[in-house]
Amino acid sequence: MFGFLINPSKFNKFADIILKPLILLCSVILIAGLILVYLSPLDYQQGLTVKIMYIHVPSAWLALLTYSIMTIYSVIGIAFKMPFSFIVNKAVAPIGAVFTLICLISGSLWGKPIWGTWWVWDARLTSVAILLLIYLIIIFLDKTFENKEVREKTTAIFILIGSVNLPIIKFSVDWWNTLHQPASVSKLSSPSIDISMLQPLLVMTIAFSLIGLIIAILRIKAEILIRKNR
Amino acid sequence: MFFIKKIFLFFKRELKLFFRNIVSIFSNILFFFLSIFIFVFALGADEQNLKSIGLGIIWSLLVLSSTLSLRKFYEEDFNNGVLVIIHMRGISYELIVFLKILSHFLFVQVPFLISIPVASLLFNLPIYEVYNLIFTFIIGSLILSCLSSMSASMNLLNKANFSIGGIIVLLFSVPVIIFSVGINEVDSDFKSLINILIGMALIFLGISPWASAAFIKLALRNK
Amino acid sequence: MLLINNLSFFRDDNIIFENLNLSLGNGQITQIRGKNGSGKTTFLKVILNILSSNTGEIIWEGQNVKKNIFKFYNEITYIADHNTSSRELSILDNIKFWKGLSSSNLSDDKIFSLLETFNLKKYLNTEIMYLSSGEVKKLELLRIVLEQKKIWVLDEPYNHLDDSSAEILNQTFVDHTNNNGIILFASHYNPLISKLEILDFN
Repeated sequence: MFGFLINPSKFNKFADIILKPLILLCSVILIAGLILVYLSPLDYQQGLTVKIMYIHVPSAWLALLTYSIMTIYSVIGIAFKMPFSFIVNKAVAPIGAVFTLICLISGSLWGKPIWGTWWVWDARLTSVAILLLIYLIIIFLDKTFENKEVREKTTAIFILIGSVNLPIIKFSVDWWNTLHQPASVSKLSSPSIDISMLQPLLVMTIAFSLIGLIIAILRIKAEILIRKNR
Repeated sequence: MFFIKKIFLFFKRELKLFFRNIVSIFSNILFFFLSIFIFVFALGADEQNLKSIGLGIIWSLLVLSSTLSLRKFYEEDFNNGVLVIIHMRGISYELIVFLKILSHFLFVQVPFLISIPVASLLFNLPIYEVYNLIFTFIIGSLILSCLSSMSASMNLLNKANFSIGGIIVLLFSVPVIIFSVGINEVDSDFKSLINILIGMALIFLGISPWASAAFIKLALRNK
Repeated sequence: MLLINNLSFFRDDNIIFENLNLSLGNGQITQIRGKNGSGKTTFLKVILNILSSNTGEIIWEGQNVKKNIFKFYNEITYIADHNTSSRELSILDNIKFWKGLSSSNLSDDKIFSLLETFNLKKYLNTEIMYLSSGEVKKLELLRIVLEQKKIWVLDEPYNHLDDSSAEILNQTFVDHTNNNGIILFASHYNPLISKLEILDFN
């Protein structure tokens, strides 16, 4: 049933079915999300700049999600020797890098009016910047080695070693006193974010993940084709 | 009995190679001192200023200098096949890596210890900072040796992109520097930070033989 | 008795060799002959388990070698096609290292006389990097006698050797087979050994 997650030909078949509805769904949700963002209330302190959040937070979540997916696929790839997982790693890494970059740039733009500075060396910001560096190293490692097996396995092991950064990012706001605000949505019992802001945020997150998913599907399909024709 | 003799022989060989290569190790130390001079020229010779940032500069330059000897870690033994021959005489790759890390620690990192008091003198560091520096460097350099081992074995077949090995060491040396330099902050708890450093060293000593051996086997398969 | 059953090796879907069967009995000397790139070195590496085969098994004394690889290695001397000696150490240091590592009990006099026959004794304390490639190769080949193992696996042993040294090598091979040793080597040179068996890789 979930064979499309590990088998290239099944993945191709599944992707062909799902791609067009996915694009349609994504555009609908993205438009709905943008409208919701437009209608959402202004913050009484921050004014209009609070709307940067609707880009900043989803891209941060997706940067982490992408890395987690790569970690899972690396484990699968090393343990069960499945070539598809290396295809996924290669296809998905630039997407994660772009999400991290969007997160950092939007955060920087947000920080200037609120904190009065483009950049502070606080734990959350620094660990996300290191995540970007890790993504870049993964992309470079993939271009470094001539031999296919070495390239794939080295990248996969590096992804595994680099995954220690994920909990550091997640808990950096709890472990160190930082300027960055602590988690406000994931506190399930009582989210400290107002429902009128939570709704557009969640819709935008779904839209962002669909965009990421569509690009990932296209990139994986392209990578499968390249390998077939080599 | 034979096994211990083999390990002893391995160290004897490393020691001989160390004495043949002693110039390159002192070149690393020279690089370290020259970088300190460059820093002082670039920042200006204001004594108070240098005193406050001296420790950080010394630590970052120590990390940078330790990436210089990265390519010597396995490359020669790998290229001429000594690793395979030693393995065929009954020592697993994991143990070879472990011994290599220890010998790198003893023969490459420990010589740096003689440079630390001199460097601290140049920055007029207070005496307790020098003690802390020496103490944290002994533990931190063991972690650096583990990191160098992983990075060097990862790049055994990398013939084009030399800098990526150093980048990987620098990336993972970030926590080492955070905790080592953090010891000197006023409100920090010396004991707990030292425990964290020792814990990290033990974790890396556990991980890196496994990871490096996996990389070495991978490289041998595709040599 | 070294048995090789149904051995195959692929590299990125290219077949290097397939369904290879070979048995090496005591006192047998086998040469692998083939063009450049025909997979001679790869075959030796598969036998030594440096590369793992895609199908088939290697059996030493009735047991698959993968079950107890170090027991198998303990019977083998492997001479690669490149120099294994450390460039920065002297001949004596290298010999001491190899000898200790393989726990051989060859007497020092014997080693010196071997060095004498190969004309290396005058360089005893010279670093390897100052020797010529033929001399380094001779030092490498010294290991087959030095390590006192039963199976000799050699890759291109005749490279860089002059005629008289090649003659000494042939004589050493014959002596070893008379002592029930097993020799497997890859070369494109045709040595004059009477009971040589040939495995053609072309």
